[in-house]
Amino acid sequence: MVLSLTDVELSLQGNAGMVDILHGISLEVAKGDTLGLVGPSGSGKSSLLMLMGGLERATGGSVLALGNDLTTMDEDQLARFRRSHMGVVFQSFHLIPTMTALENVATPLELAGAADAFERAEAELDAVGLGHRTDHYPAQMSGGEQQRVALARAAAPRPDILLADEPTGNLDQATGAAIMDLLFDLRDRHGATLIMVTHSLDLAARCDRTIRLVDGRLDAETRNTPDLRVTDAATTGYAKVGE
Amino acid sequence: MIWLTQAATIARRELRGGLSGFRIFLACLALGVAAIAAVGSVRVSITAGLEREGSVILGGDAEVEFDYRAATPEERALLDAVGTVSQVYDFRSMAATGEGREADRALTQVKAVDDLYPLTGTLTLDPPIPVAQALADDGAIIHPVLADRLGLEIGDPIYLGTRALTLRALLTREPDAGSAGFGLGPRTIVSTAALEGSGLVSEGSLFEVKYRMLIPGATDEQLDALEVELETAFEGSGARWRDRRNGAPQVQRVVDRLGSFLVLVGLAGLAVGGVGVSAAVRSYLDRKTGVIATLKTLGAEGRVIFAAYLMQIGVLAALGIAIGLVLGTLIPITVGPLIEARLPVPVALGVHPGPLFEAALYGALTALIFTLWPLARTEQVRAASLFRDATGTSRVWPRRRYIVALAVAVVALVASSALLSGIPMLALYSAGGIAFALALLIGAAWGVRRLSRMLAGTKAVRGWPALRLALGSVGGPGGEATAVVLSLGLGLTVLAAVGQIDANMRAAIDRDLPEIAPSYFFVDIQPDQIEGFLDRVENDPAVSRVDTAPMLGGVVRSIAGTPASEFDHWVTRGDRRISFADTPGDGTRIVAGEFWPEDYTGDPQISFAREEAEELGVEIGDAVTMNVLGRDITGTVTNFREVDFSSGGIGFVIIFNTAALQGAPHTWLSTVYAEESAEAAILRDVAGDAPNITAIRVRDAIALVTEALGALAAATSWGAGATLLTGFIVLIGAAAAGERGRTFEASVLKTLGATRATILTSFALRSALLGAAAGVVAIVVGALAGWGILTFVMEAPYSFEWRSALLIVVGGALATLLAGLAFAWRPLAARPAGVLRAQD
Ligand SMILES: Nc1ncnc2c1ncn2[C@@H]1O[C@H](COP(=O)(O)OP(=O)(O)OP(=O)(O)O)[C@@H](O)[C@H]1O
Ligand SMILES: [Mg+2]
Repeated sequence: MVLSLTDVELSLQGNAGMVDILHGISLEVAKGDTLGLVGPSGSGKSSLLMLMGGLERATGGSVLALGNDLTTMDEDQLARFRRSHMGVVFQSFHLIPTMTALENVATPLELAGAADAFERAEAELDAVGLGHRTDHYPAQMSGGEQQRVALARAAAPRPDILLADEPTGNLDQATGAAIMDLLFDLRDRHGATLIMVTHSLDLAARCDRTIRLVDGRLDAETRNTPDLRVTDAATTGYAKVGE
Repeated sequence: MIWLTQAATIARRELRGGLSGFRIFLACLALGVAAIAAVGSVRVSITAGLEREGSVILGGDAEVEFDYRAATPEERALLDAVGTVSQVYDFRSMAATGEGREADRALTQVKAVDDLYPLTGTLTLDPPIPVAQALADDGAIIHPVLADRLGLEIGDPIYLGTRALTLRALLTREPDAGSAGFGLGPRTIVSTAALEGSGLVSEGSLFEVKYRMLIPGATDEQLDALEVELETAFEGSGARWRDRRNGAPQVQRVVDRLGSFLVLVGLAGLAVGGVGVSAAVRSYLDRKTGVIATLKTLGAEGRVIFAAYLMQIGVLAALGIAIGLVLGTLIPITVGPLIEARLPVPVALGVHPGPLFEAALYGALTALIFTLWPLARTEQVRAASLFRDATGTSRVWPRRRYIVALAVAVVALVASSALLSGIPMLALYSAGGIAFALALLIGAAWGVRRLSRMLAGTKAVRGWPALRLALGSVGGPGGEATAVVLSLGLGLTVLAAVGQIDANMRAAIDRDLPEIAPSYFFVDIQPDQIEGFLDRVENDPAVSRVDTAPMLGGVVRSIAGTPASEFDHWVTRGDRRISFADTPGDGTRIVAGEFWPEDYTGDPQISFAREEAEELGVEIGDAVTMNVLGRDITGTVTNFREVDFSSGGIGFVIIFNTAALQGAPHTWLSTVYAEESAEAAILRDVAGDAPNITAIRVRDAIALVTEALGALAAATSWGAGATLLTGFIVLIGAAAAGERGRTFEASVLKTLGATRATILTSFALRSALLGAAAGVVAIVVGALAGWGILTFVMEAPYSFEWRSALLIVVGGALATLLAGLAFAWRPLAARPAGVLRAQD
């Protein structure tokens, strides 16, 4: 199993005392799987994703990623683990504003000690159709472009697990579809495990499994058969969007 | 004017948001204003004290002073007609614990007084006995420092010259100490009667006699009239006038100079504060871009927006200035007693409106100068910016009227500081220096950003993410680089300039002087003592050189027929020490004319110092008339000598041929160059054999000068320290403002796999980079300023003092590092999820 969560609990200090956010979540994700997380707003989807990425520490239960218990690792161990095994795409991109697109993408490669970080970063930006905007700062790019830089950054180190929080949340349909294709392409070509939070039924339908959260609890799990996946080539060419 | 009302309404609503974003703004302005107000208040307090207590400090309402002689009975009669007169002898001598070569001796400044002393003020003695009782029957009062040095206790014998006196009391407070200025030795007070037979104030020895007058009810106008009257009566006698309005000219001069100088340093501090003010206003307005754009969408004109924000800043500036004024008033009142204890004059503590007004004016102008630019840009905010990202906004120039207003404010600030400081040239140069430093720092900040940007993109830093990250954030858009480099750089520049000047002055004193200066000046050697004296010092193997010259006092009456009173030069004012000689002497260069032959006995001839001759317009062949101890002698100037007064050796402006002054009472002056180890023995023997001889140890005199310089440097360092403190506040403000950004960055980096060590390294590199840039500029400008001040103001040689410079760069880098790291804790500790979710 690439990821396995057992009885995960999460409580956070809110303004008025402790807030229980996640209750007894247990689930397993196999290598190469794509998992969609759906549920109403405030149900704990983002929180669960953060836990999987070791960005949040569970207050109970265990989170095993590639056999390592994330709940017992310290910040630096977690960072080193993510360096080689995990990519995260945030809903609002979170590019570093003082770095160009190229530098943003190269950073995780450099941190992993790759000698050819910049060459690979350039190739990665090319792959998302931004080869001509490598020297631009985030503030100089549109939302869709920033989203693609964020995706390139997460994908560049070829992570085993890719976590994405509403990767198409505030994009128009065409761009959203293009981003989605990029994600699935990563799975198909490199065998990455994809886990994404989404409100989009289209996207959820393309996943192997979808899990529904309600009030911090697992509510339902759906397994999609491959033939149910929506594949409409006409709407998914990102090359069209990048122009 | 409806738009003004609209602006006021907007301003009032915006101000309801509170002052939380303006702490740095207020601190910067308040600190700068407080420093200037405090320095100005102390200065005015001292000046007011000098004025109020003028007659106490002088020791009378007016004073007439003679050199090397007492008033003649006729002169005394004239003075007695004016009011109550008290006579005071003032001279340097050696105080000894006994007689002969075994006794301990120390230099002292002796005051021999009559029964009326002190005419004004009271002497405080320990034990508290009346002055008359202390001085009766050969009693002596000495300063505790002298008692310490000689190990004397009340009741012990103390020797002045050949007279044995009894120590009766220690001097706790001497009301007229300020009038004497800064003396070389601690004070001894005896009665004039006790001097008789001491051999100390014989004809030809060096002493002053002061006649202090108490003139009940005299107005300033009457004093003026009296001055004119007495100056006419005493014309050519060498008498000098002083009255209660100028009781302590030396102290007044030092206080004025130092006060003005410190106000200039304070202005530099205010400029540093201005950088912080500007940064605070910029970030406030950045946060308000949305509000401004919304207001514009709703139809507000540019001028309404500008006025609304100007009003807000104005209210805040007024608050900051008010805080500064309160501090600036309270600080002198709290530290006043400390200052008073270190000065020989009283201090009139209190609230003085003048310096407070000055400080408020500077504060207001500085606030205006540093906020106009960002404020003017609010007019350019377009409604469209609501929908665009705030970072990387385009740089547009404000409209012309704002640039003109800015220029007017700058000119007003520079002009008022030039006028109010009392040292206009220095003020102008300082303003130029500050402007130059600011320009250079802006250039440096720009350069550092460009360079960092360039380096961040080069292959060299690839694979060093911490370094690249640091370079990227220094060079990238929206960084704190400019504020940090400007504030710290300006603070460090002031410190560097002060450091360079101080180090140079010290180096000059420590290194250069003692090599060429003699060990001792011996004065008042009587003609019958010179042989024994020379016998002792010339046969000492530790003595490398002995120079001697006869000396007597004389007053210049006229030069080439022109009365001395028509020259405005120190040579023609009061008594001059003159000499006579058969030969020019070793090391003297005759630069024009010819020195008389060795056994010349013809008409009197004069050798004049070249520089002074040029200043006075004396030419070879001119007749100079001098009054020497009551006798007029006219000599012809036959040659010019090159005299170097700065080398510390003997140098006279006027030398007669020996025969011309035959029979005139004189004493000998001698400089002895000896090894330090032999100095004590020489003093013991010379003064032991001839107790009337006064020995001035050059090393002690230099130590005094060094100490005085140290005090000046300390005062200046405090000023520079206030500037640096402001710089540090700005720095902390910038670091705090950047904390949010860094927290975000740290979280993203952790997500991408960076360890805390990598992130911390990057933060540290970034701070050190900015600190070092500020430090390097500070050294360049500080060295330039130091060179300028030393070369043009102090007329001393300058050499770059790398140790002080190095300290400053390292200090600057450390300061930024510290400020940066103090605000690195939260970013490092933050859990990424918390930060990154909040940003959603
Ligand atoms: N730092 C925090 N302290 C306390 N409660 C928090 C904190 N962060 C989030 N929560 C609460 O935790 C719950 C789950 O939040 P989460 O962001 O995981 O929801 P979500 O399912 O991603 O919602 P959405 O679809 O709106 O993004 C919410 O009720 C939220 O208010
Ligand atoms: Mg969410």
